[in-house]
Amino acid sequence: MIPEPDSRPVTTLVVTEVNGIVVRRTVENRQTLAGFLRDGLGLTGTKVSCDLQVCGVCSVLVDDQPVSSCTYLAADIDGRRVRTVEGLSGGERLSPLQQSFVDHFALQCGFCTPGFLMMATALLERNPDPTEEEVIDYLDGNICRCTGYRTIVDAVLEAAARMRSLTNA
Amino acid sequence: MLPAFVLERPGSLEEALGLLDEDSVVYCGGTELLLAMKMGLLRPARLVDLKGLPGLSRIEVADGELRIGATVTHDGVARSPLVAEHAPFLAEVESRVGNARVRAQGSIGGNLCFQEPRSDVTTALYALDGKAELLSADGVTRLLPMEDFLLGPYWTAREDNELLVRVRIPLPAPAGVYLKYQISERPVVGVAAVRDPRSGGVRLVVGAVTDAPQRYDLPADGAADVDAIVGRLEITEDTGGSEEYKRHVTAVHINRALAALNT
Repeated sequence: MIPEPDSRPVTTLVVTEVNGIVVRRTVENRQTLAGFLRDGLGLTGTKVSCDLQVCGVCSVLVDDQPVSSCTYLAADIDGRRVRTVEGLSGGERLSPLQQSFVDHFALQCGFCTPGFLMMATALLERNPDPTEEEVIDYLDGNICRCTGYRTIVDAVLEAAARMRSLTNA
Repeated sequence: MLPAFVLERPGSLEEALGLLDEDSVVYCGGTELLLAMKMGLLRPARLVDLKGLPGLSRIEVADGELRIGATVTHDGVARSPLVAEHAPFLAEVESRVGNARVRAQGSIGGNLCFQEPRSDVTTALYALDGKAELLSADGVTRLLPMEDFLLGPYWTAREDNELLVRVRIPLPAPAGVYLKYQISERPVVGVAAVRDPRSGGVRLVVGAVTDAPQRYDLPADGAADVDAIVGRLEITEDTGGSEEYKRHVTAVHINRALAALNT
C-alpha cells in the first residue's frame, strides 16, 4: 500500500564538513551521499557503479568510518565529517598512498581507484602496519574489473611502510 | 532514486516509540532498508532514525548477560573489548559480516529486524542462546529467544509499535567456530559449532541455506549423522546455488566445523 503523502518537509538541513570545508545545505531526504557529493558539491572523484554497496567504488569516509556513499543518506552527514578522494592530496602533491598506487601501476582504467584509496586510508588509520592478509581481507569488498589486485595490495603495503617511516622520522 | 520520505530524528527512546506506526519504518544503518527502498520493495512515508539515541549504542555486562544496544554497528561489536572478553565467538562472526563498509554502517539490531535469511548474526545468536529485547510504546518489554523472534524470511515477531532495543546473551557464552562459504556479501552457508559451557555438549547451527537457522544439540564428542541432518534441510535455491549443490557444501562445512571444534 502506498501511504498518503506526508505534509511535513521531505528535506533536511545539513551542516557538515567535507574535506575540511564547512558545508551548509538543505538536502532532499532521499538524496544519497554519492549524489550529494557529485551533483551538489561537484566532487566527482567519488564514482558510483553497482549502487548496491557491493563494489566499493563509491567508498568515502564519514567520521573516519568507511561507508558506501551510494547507500547512505546525505541527510546523515549532518554533524559529521566527510572525506573523499579529493581530500587526500595536498594540492598537486599526492599523498603517500596515492603516490604508491602510481609507483606500483596499481590502476588501469582508474574507475575503482577512488574507492580503493578511501578503503585503504581507513585501513591504515586503524592499522598502520597491516599484514598482506589483513590488506586483502579489508579490501575484499572492493572490485577491480581490470584485475589489478596484486599491484593494489603491494601499493598499500608499501604506502604503509612509507607512512610508518615518516611517522617515526 | 529513492522515493521521498520524512526523516524523523528523535532524541529520546520515548520520542522514537511515539513515532512508530504502520506508515513509518525504523531506520539505522540503512544497509538493508535503503537497498529495499531502491528496489521499490518498500515505500515508507517516514523513516525513524535511531542513531541519535545514546541509550541504544551501549554494550554492557549486567546480571550475567552481555547486552548489546540495537544500534551498535557490526564493526562496533567486533571491536568491543567487552565482547572480546565475554563472547569472542560473536566478535569473530561480526568481524566477517558483509564487507568493511557494511560492518561500519550496519547495526546488529537492523540485521536482526530485517531478518534476511542469510544473516551471519542470526546464526551466531542461535548458537549463543541470544535473545531479542523488545520495548513497546506502552512500556511493555518482551524478551524473545531467537527461535520465537524469527518467524520467517524478512519476518520477525516485532510489532509495529515495538523497537528492538537490545540483544542479550547469557554468560558464560560458549566458544566455538563459525565457518561460512561466501562468494558475495552474504554467505551461501554458515555453520556454527560451539561447546555449551555448562553441559559440555556441542551446539551445531546451520544458517543461510534455509528460511531460518536450524539448531542441533550434539554429544560432547560432536558425533552427528551429517547426511541425515543435511538430508532433512529445506534448502532455499537461489543465485548462490542449487539445492543439490548447497546440500553438499553444507555437509562439507558441518564436517569441517565439528572437526575444528574438536581439535
